[in-house]
Amino acid sequence: MQTLSPPTPRKIQPPLIPVIDVIFNLLIFFMLTPNVSAGDGYLTTNLPTNSGPVGGKPQDTTQFRLRITLQDVGPNGQIVEGKNEYCSIIVEDHDFGSNFDALQAFLDAKRQQGLPITTPILLAPTMGCYHEWVVRAFDAAVAARFTNIQFAVPYE
Amino acid sequence: MKLVRSKGTGAISFNFTPMIDVVFNLLIFFVLTAQFMTLEIEDVILAPSLTGESRDYAEFRNVVINITNPDNPTIIVMGHPITYLELTDHLKNLRQSAANDGKKMNVILRADRKIPYGKVALAMLAAGGAEIEGMWLQVDISKVEKENLQAVR
Repeated sequence: MQTLSPPTPRKIQPPLIPVIDVIFNLLIFFMLTPNVSAGDGYLTTNLPTNSGPVGGKPQDTTQFRLRITLQDVGPNGQIVEGKNEYCSIIVEDHDFGSNFDALQAFLDAKRQQGLPITTPILLAPTMGCYHEWVVRAFDAAVAARFTNIQFAVPYE
Repeated sequence: MKLVRSKGTGAISFNFTPMIDVVFNLLIFFVLTAQFMTLEIEDVILAPSLTGESRDYAEFRNVVINITNPDNPTIIVMGHPITYLELTDHLKNLRQSAANDGKKMNVILRADRKIPYGKVALAMLAAGGAEIEGMWLQVDISKVEKENLQAVR
């Protein structure tokens, strides 16, 4: 009499090499991509070429029709000794407090009144102003479509 | 004597899959590492900007001036802390070297959002002293990118 033996289990070998390849690809991709400068942008600005330790002479600032002054102040708008955590924006005789949207609206209005977009604008922050505020003021001027924005730097 | 010639199957197959995998690996590696070699950046929190734009810096000889640590601001170029006067000389040398190689030099200022303007102004003065006419301020535009993405959706 013939008996049926149970089938011997087959040895299944999945192809490991492509799996490893794909894992390495994903590994390299996720390791490196977060550090690529995605999300970073640039604002271009002009520098006065005669400034700096060998430049020598201060620039004539009368050419600037608009001067945006940024002042670091205390919580009540007063200037105190040490670190001031708040910003005060002054253009001509207007004090915008720390409202950068109001600054942009003012610059927009100036442009609509006929001020050319190539008008030189001087951005003059005090030394204690945060870089972030300077960028926001720069942003406001660029958003109002002005193209010639320069920074005031201390003269030695 | 009679030689018996063995009969092969005749079909030669070339396995492309591992080769394509390796080529892709190399491609990704070189594309990504090339960007790292170009920009020597430090870990800072960039100031957010609404008007900053992505720009292609590959055509320039780039120098990144990093200003880190708002509590004790430090200027770092190519991984090393540097003083204001050293920075001017360094930029002059790099500008000369780029000019000799027929390349344009580009200065990127990468400052932490809380750095006082006094330190940023020093870097600008140093660049001006090296007769560099323009500078790129590196800013964070991810918020704008997200808003644009949502607007598209």
